[in-house]
Amino acid sequence: MTGGFQPYDALMSLFREFAALPVAFDWAEKDSKTTRGHPRQRRGIRPDMKRYSAFAIAREALRHHTGWERAWRSPEPKKKYDAIIVGAGGHGLATAYYLGKNYGIKNVAILEKGWLGGGNTGRNTTIIRSNYLQDPSAAIYEKARSLYETMSQDLNYNVMFSPRGVMMLAQTQHEIRGYKRTAHANKLQGVATEFISPQRVKELVPIINIDGPRYPVLGALWQPRGGTARHDAVAWGYARACSAMGMDVIQQCEVTGVRTEGGKVIGVDTTKGAIDCDKLGLVVAGHSGVLAEKAGFRLPIESLALQALVSEPIKPCMNVVVMANTVHGYMSQSDKGEMVIGGGTDGFNNYTQRGSFHHIEETVRALNETFPIISRLKMLRQWGGIVDMTGDRSPLLSKTPVEGIFVNCGWGTGGFKAIPGSGWAMAELMAKGHSPLTDEFSMFRFREGRFIDESVAAGVAH
Amino acid sequence: MLTLTCPYCGVSGEETEFHAGGEAHLKRFISGSTDAEFDEYMFLRENPKGVHFERWRHVYGCGKWFHAARDTNTLEVFGTYSAQVSEPPKEIKDKISAKRPGWSWRNFK
Amino acid sequence: MSKAVSALAGAKASVLVAIEERGLQGMITLRGDFASAAFKKAVKSVLGVDLPGQRAVAVAGEKAVAWMSPDELLVMVPHEEADAVVEALSGALKSEHHLAVNVSDARAVFRLSGKDALVREVIAKVAPVDMAGFGPGQIRRTRISQVAGAFWQPEAGVLDLVCFRSVAQYVFDLLKVSAMEGSEVGHLG
Repeated sequence: MTGGFQPYDALMSLFREFAALPVAFDWAEKDSKTTRGHPRQRRGIRPDMKRYSAFAIAREALRHHTGWERAWRSPEPKKKYDAIIVGAGGHGLATAYYLGKNYGIKNVAILEKGWLGGGNTGRNTTIIRSNYLQDPSAAIYEKARSLYETMSQDLNYNVMFSPRGVMMLAQTQHEIRGYKRTAHANKLQGVATEFISPQRVKELVPIINIDGPRYPVLGALWQPRGGTARHDAVAWGYARACSAMGMDVIQQCEVTGVRTEGGKVIGVDTTKGAIDCDKLGLVVAGHSGVLAEKAGFRLPIESLALQALVSEPIKPCMNVVVMANTVHGYMSQSDKGEMVIGGGTDGFNNYTQRGSFHHIEETVRALNETFPIISRLKMLRQWGGIVDMTGDRSPLLSKTPVEGIFVNCGWGTGGFKAIPGSGWAMAELMAKGHSPLTDEFSMFRFREGRFIDESVAAGVAH
Repeated sequence: MLTLTCPYCGVSGEETEFHAGGEAHLKRFISGSTDAEFDEYMFLRENPKGVHFERWRHVYGCGKWFHAARDTNTLEVFGTYSAQVSEPPKEIKDKISAKRPGWSWRNFK
Repeated sequence: MSKAVSALAGAKASVLVAIEERGLQGMITLRGDFASAAFKKAVKSVLGVDLPGQRAVAVAGEKAVAWMSPDELLVMVPHEEADAVVEALSGALKSEHHLAVNVSDARAVFRLSGKDALVREVIAKVAPVDMAGFGPGQIRRTRISQVAGAFWQPEAGVLDLVCFRSVAQYVFDLLKVSAMEGSEVGHLG
């Protein structure tokens, strides 16, 4: 049994060659600082990380799926990193990813007190849109939305981005005026949205009741390239890509203290010991205030529970995302068939990741008005996340009073959609000290009266 | 879901009968104050994970404003008290100390 | 002067309990300092009752006085007497800081009657109130599903509920749904 033709091995070597090819056009390479070399190196991905592809599936099928490796490593922390990101949710991981990809800063640790993507990244309703009124918002959210378009190829990880379209219903005269204004603003900003008629709403969403018992549908702000993505996959994809760049994603590692010297950060204390760093990014949403206090400064945010719920899975019945801000409810259908429903925010500060019961009643009542067919649906699960609200409902991407510490928080009720843009901008801010995308989002803007007031534009949770 | 007791009408009601009014015992800085003072008053609100003091209004009941001391992490309510005071009464502070030794909030402990 | 009509013209429904819009009811909001002797005296002399205690209702014939807040009373009198009572109260309280306003036509009143446990249960379904501890002599201001309201029991098996006139239809429909045949829970006995 020696020599001769070995079909399996021959096939495998063929697949290995194929698997090395870039399977999709990676537009972001244009911005990449690295040049030449192996295609995977050009992407900043370690050559020894196995790419996911159709060929990989065939390859693994031939060897009983024994060759899949862990998507990311679980290392122990090193003594020191160039940069530490606190918070392994979407925003934290995206920040780390672009630090490596765009700026070659790869000696990075991402610390997570719980599990990866277990905070608001895994608790949101996965809506992606960029139809904001104010220019700085539109810039960063549209950057994010455009990065979502190619994220699966970029990360070689299927994040199931589904640009199915997002509509925000106008149910009062005031809302019509507001959304028309936003549509005009979006036109100037280069964000593709339009104000559509009730008839068009009905065509796009046949299950909707446009005559509503309280509030008829008078039109909608429609963003055809908005949509949804698989929220966990976004975190997992970034974690895998970060790990492949040699970054350490360290879970169950809570930051217990921030060490500074002469007004400059030198490291953090954690439940896994002290770790030194040159730069520190705090990207922990609801707990930002708690962490900032450890670092000795205060943030203009308050933390509240925001809820969501899902129904039992049903056959496909709605292929766009609908947000109804006046009656207050929003809904989309997941690929599993569940109706994914966004609920209300508690009216008082809390850290419960649970939320008050009456919001479910309010939300379901609102949605029953708008979508009578869901009145017989059973709700399967309900949960809450802690959202960090600022005074103007816009985020903070900012330097802080401590040199070397940067914050990325305050995304409130609408952070998921911003993840890639937020990471892109935050990485630039941390690497270069400023970024055109973050300039307006300074934590000091309140004192200076430079609000980015989206609360008036959105009315409610967005 | 919180259950609060209105100190004015004695009703123990669930939170839907009340309306949260934000941080308690604020000193207002308006015209004539410095930018830093106004910023601190208007935007840099207390946001603790733990003992917190708030204003509430019994909006569906007697309509009165009052104060509540509670834990933002557990939703435990330590007590409610009159709106006509500028700091928590000793009785409330003692109750908190019994359950959260070493607590502090702004200048109070 | 135009003829006064109540919000729902005496609408009735007979479901688990009888629900009836009570028609015209004189109502006066009276505010003042409860600790003041002059205020107490005015209430006693004009209305014939002592100042009710916290969340209590004092009844004297056709008149009733309900404790609404530490400085507010709801005075109930026959509809046609309301203006005269306001005048009398204002006269008796001339030297006191007070407010007496005829709010009769801003309100609607419903009466629920039937088996006492069922009457209280119909309310328990729409208000965040523990109706096991509720009974005659008390008044409770609260939320009636999505609107403000208050109710009291003149006697066991009877409950009067007051709300704003603008939401009378909503409240009537709500009570009918809450009292729908076959919807009894039975937790109050």
